[in-house]
Amino acid sequence: MVSAVDTPPLTAAPVTLAFDRARGVMLPMAFGAGLLLLWQLAASGLQIPKVILPTPTDVFGALLNNADTIWQQTIPTVRDTLLGFGLATVLGIGLASLLSFSRVLRDAVYPLIIVIQLVPKIAWTPLFIVWAGIGWQSRLTIATFICFFPIFIAMMAGLESTDRSLVRLCRGLTASAWRTFWLVRLPGSLTYLFAGLKIAITLSVIGVIVAEFISSSEGLGFLILKSAALLQTDMILAAITVLCIVGLICYGLVHSGEVAVRRWRGE
Amino acid sequence: MSTLEAPVRLGAATRLAAMARLPALARLIAPPAIATLALFAGWDLLVRSGAVSARLLPAPEKVWNTLLRSMSVLLEQAQPTFWAAIAGIFAAAVLGILLGIAVSVSLIARQAVYPTIVFFQLIPKVALAPVFLIWFGTGFTAKVVFAVFIAFFPVLIGTIAGLQAAPPSYGRLCQSLLMSRLQILLTVELPFALPHIFSGLRIGVTFAVIGVVLGEFITAQTGLGYIILFSANNFETALLLAAILMLCAVGIVLFALFLALEAIVTKLYDSR
Repeated sequence: MVSAVDTPPLTAAPVTLAFDRARGVMLPMAFGAGLLLLWQLAASGLQIPKVILPTPTDVFGALLNNADTIWQQTIPTVRDTLLGFGLATVLGIGLASLLSFSRVLRDAVYPLIIVIQLVPKIAWTPLFIVWAGIGWQSRLTIATFICFFPIFIAMMAGLESTDRSLVRLCRGLTASAWRTFWLVRLPGSLTYLFAGLKIAITLSVIGVIVAEFISSSEGLGFLILKSAALLQTDMILAAITVLCIVGLICYGLVHSGEVAVRRWRGE
Repeated sequence: MSTLEAPVRLGAATRLAAMARLPALARLIAPPAIATLALFAGWDLLVRSGAVSARLLPAPEKVWNTLLRSMSVLLEQAQPTFWAAIAGIFAAAVLGILLGIAVSVSLIARQAVYPTIVFFQLIPKVALAPVFLIWFGTGFTAKVVFAVFIAFFPVLIGTIAGLQAAPPSYGRLCQSLLMSRLQILLTVELPFALPHIFSGLRIGVTFAVIGVVLGEFITAQTGLGYIILFSANNFETALLLAAILMLCAVGIVLFALFLALEAIVTKLYDSR
């Protein structure tokens, strides 16, 4: 299409397009940099005590000085986050797939899970600590519990979104329920599934952090709370910076998983 | 197509006829009700048989009795949680909607701010709770401000998305009618944005409750979050579950309030 049309006025279009695209990236970056600069100037200019609001350079300094400690505490947090997320993915997809085979089972279990999902799930954290102790097991359970719901619900929605006429066609071609599931229902639900996975991975980080707040002697949540008790605000913010990076990397992993699956399916 | 559908329709018709014998409501309610009963029976059996220590998981009956017995304490502690969540979501609503409107006025502002907001959606904001305690102390204010901070983002995103929902042709019509920017906002853009704003608010309400409870976990002074943590530390699992039930009630009441508000506002706009 593009090569067929090479009249002079259109040559300007790619330039504008590139400019627009650059603007889409540059504007938010400039805005972010502006916020940081404002923070730096405000904190140092208004003589705000370091305990209340350290400057971005203070935070960066704390990050560099305590790189070892922070790295050590990052590992358990990342481990629990990813393990919980993985476990919830298996459970969520498994249960949703199971329910898609039986209408009665689906009618019985699905509303129940929707009701449980309405409860503020963070509130369950202390209960899981009573059940699973203060070690990594309780953090893993909490992350799994929190991640399970969005994955399960998205997978259910995906499996139910299957084109009815396709299912009828499969039945007409005497495909077994299993083959219909594998060839039609499952591929059709992938878009929904990844939407749920993206919600779940951010929740997983939150679940692990809250559990570490409540009872832990390791992890970034522990480091944040310990630094808060010592009023080391720069250290809190340094740990949170690392946590944000961890969260974004985890989200990026899920996103690239989605891209890979789409490419594999030739979309 | 019709040849394909004919036998299926027939099958569906006979099945429908068979199911029509049951009242529709019973068909809707029976399966989940049976599943709920089975869940409670299984739970009860698990505890009674001694497979699970009653200390870790008290029988449903005991949780219910604890709920009734501790009702006065739970209601008293539910109040700070409830009011903090209400204050949080209302402040978040005002801030989120106003900022959303301000950002949507110019394309450049939207392009600059929106990715930053999405970025804030992705990072675990919960981790900032201890910072809010340093800033605002361990009292009611800290809880509310933290709830605002958490509940604010979904409202803001809903508002920004909603203000773009009006079809462009409406905007062109308004321009040709020489309407002012404010008139366009109030009569066209805002009504189209309402469903989006309210879906943001619905998420915001649950976030506000989470923010308040988390604040109570960390400060441990008052509220249902405090009761939950306190009973976990003392292995009073029955009280813990009763407090979670009470928290659910708080969450449901808040959610229902916003559904009612949505119905009222939507009706007001429809009748104009």
